[in-house]
Amino acid sequence: MKLFEFEAKTIMGSIGIPVPKGQIIKVAEEVFNLKLQYPVVIKCQVQSGGRGKAGGVKFADNLDETYEIAKKLLGLEINGIKTSSLLIEPKTDIEKELYVAITLDRGRKSHILLGSSEGGVEIESSDSVKIIPVQTEYKPYLGRKLAKSMGLSESKLNMVSEIINKLYSLYENYDLDLAEINPLVFTKDGKILALDGKMTVNDDAIDRQPFFQGWEINHLTDVSERELKAKIAGLNLVELKGKIGIICNGAGLTMATMDLVKKYGGEPANFLDVGGGADEGRVKRALKLVADNPNVKIILVNILGGITACDEVAKALKTFAVENVDKKVVVRLLGNNQEKAAEIMKGTGIKSIDNLDMAVKEAVALGGKV
Amino acid sequence: MSVLINKETKILVQGITGNMGKTHTGLMLKYGTKIVAGVTPGKGGQEVHGVKVYDTVQEAKEKTGATVSCIFVPGFYALDAAYEAFDAGMELVVIITEGIPPHDEVKIIRRANELKTNVIGPNCPGIITPGECLIGIHPGIIYKPGKVGMISRSGTLTYEVALTLSNAGIGQSTCIGIGGDPVIGLGFKECLRLFNDDPKTEAIVLMGEIGGTAEEEAAELIKKEIKKPVIAYIAGRTAPPGKRMGHAGAIISGGKGTADSKVKAFKDANVEVADIPSQVVALVQDAIKQPIKV
Repeated sequence: MKLFEFEAKTIMGSIGIPVPKGQIIKVAEEVFNLKLQYPVVIKCQVQSGGRGKAGGVKFADNLDETYEIAKKLLGLEINGIKTSSLLIEPKTDIEKELYVAITLDRGRKSHILLGSSEGGVEIESSDSVKIIPVQTEYKPYLGRKLAKSMGLSESKLNMVSEIINKLYSLYENYDLDLAEINPLVFTKDGKILALDGKMTVNDDAIDRQPFFQGWEINHLTDVSERELKAKIAGLNLVELKGKIGIICNGAGLTMATMDLVKKYGGEPANFLDVGGGADEGRVKRALKLVADNPNVKIILVNILGGITACDEVAKALKTFAVENVDKKVVVRLLGNNQEKAAEIMKGTGIKSIDNLDMAVKEAVALGGKV
Repeated sequence: MSVLINKETKILVQGITGNMGKTHTGLMLKYGTKIVAGVTPGKGGQEVHGVKVYDTVQEAKEKTGATVSCIFVPGFYALDAAYEAFDAGMELVVIITEGIPPHDEVKIIRRANELKTNVIGPNCPGIITPGECLIGIHPGIIYKPGKVGMISRSGTLTYEVALTLSNAGIGQSTCIGIGGDPVIGLGFKECLRLFNDDPKTEAIVLMGEIGGTAEEEAAELIKKEIKKPVIAYIAGRTAPPGKRMGHAGAIISGGKGTADSKVKAFKDANVEVADIPSQVVALVQDAIKQPIKV
């Protein structure tokens, strides 16, 4: 779960990381109640990178300008996501911009501290980023090591390492995938300030983080309505542009089935993994979600039952066929309880093909061709 | 010979009284796996499918001589269960559990490395030596004893390829599902080395997917060390960037972890890459006809 900038900064501020004192607005007219010194910076609150480039950050010198900008920015689409709130903060006089972040390094199997003395928008592609792995437990000297590697000295070294200590405590205590400050700035009057903040809470850990209970539903702005419904139903759905709806069990097999569709001349309409051990109800919900996508011309169901019982899948398919006579379905159903499943599938009119390549070719032929 | 496990291996199941634990203990016993004990705190003295349950791993090990633990406990309890298995001196710990927070996975793998304990998983189907021993949730019926070693990040995709191999009369020495999470125990590299040293394995099938750089690193290792033919397959060529494709680890982020990059790495290492899962069979047939590189 990606937090919005204003949430990340509120949390950072609560443990003593200095952040600008800003206000959040959802309606342009709220600018008339601002209690801020001009000039100000107005920032779209979206869960997407590339905000600055997309024109989602503007400066204003007075109230009139702020109002005009707020009207334009509210509703602005940034990488397909609509802006529904703005963060307005006093403009900072910047002496130097830095970048610090903490995340997991899969290759090293450890958490890493990242830092650069060249903060700003293009940091991901910069080679100035220094990395300090947290090989055992985090200790404050690691923060100092990072600050030193960033070329900092004297009081600046201590100021930055203190920020890293605090950021790490958030990273650890809140089960974060990412904690990032970019830019972290030194102001012209010698203070340190987190001008932007990113925090991503790990999806598998949210249930043990009391602070974030109930937050998820308000943070799924970058998914379609059906993807949102799937998420709530505990299904993994990612929608794509094609015409062949795909329902599989297991992430790898689902991806392989998508790849096969493409290979045989079709385009997948989605990735949908029903997971291991899906029962009739779960498969029914999956079928409905895929069928509800107006682009879908045919549904390809590929189940290789290990934990999943094929007869449960067949029951769901039978009901679906009765209720949706107009929907074309091709099925490949093998494994656990496949004989029972074959018995249930008899008379449903659904094509069942054991060979995966043949099943995919059939789905493409029956209406999935690009 | 086989890799890591054989018909003599004695196994205990942590979380044996839960739904998953109970069901799969039954299936593993039916396959012939020597499940000698179960562990669920507070349920010591009970029995599951005739297997005695103990309160602690230590006690279960002392009473039965188990050397391998298979963990089915829910995500938030897996860290504790894994530590208990490590401290009791288990030689191999197979973690089936899905949804373990990565902060816990980092701790689990670090501790395992300190103690030099092998971990398979988390979020994996386990390991099977066909005809001898099944640990985890692989559907045993799909596999046949033979000479092909399999390593995979995905459960059902392994079943898919194993099924086509078995149907073509090509059996498997051992199949290891290494797991679909960002942080795992034994990876491609470690498993490649195990199969390389296993006299019974003649060819290795490696099934990767998008996300991370484990496949690229495996390709480097193959170039340098692996004498046996390796056939690779990569899932996720059509996966969009930035979206998690089911597995926590299956995500293309910041342009890294694409299928193209992995396919290229394997081709650069002269590893045959199957375009589609069913093509693995023909590539394996070609490979085992050729003598092993010396």
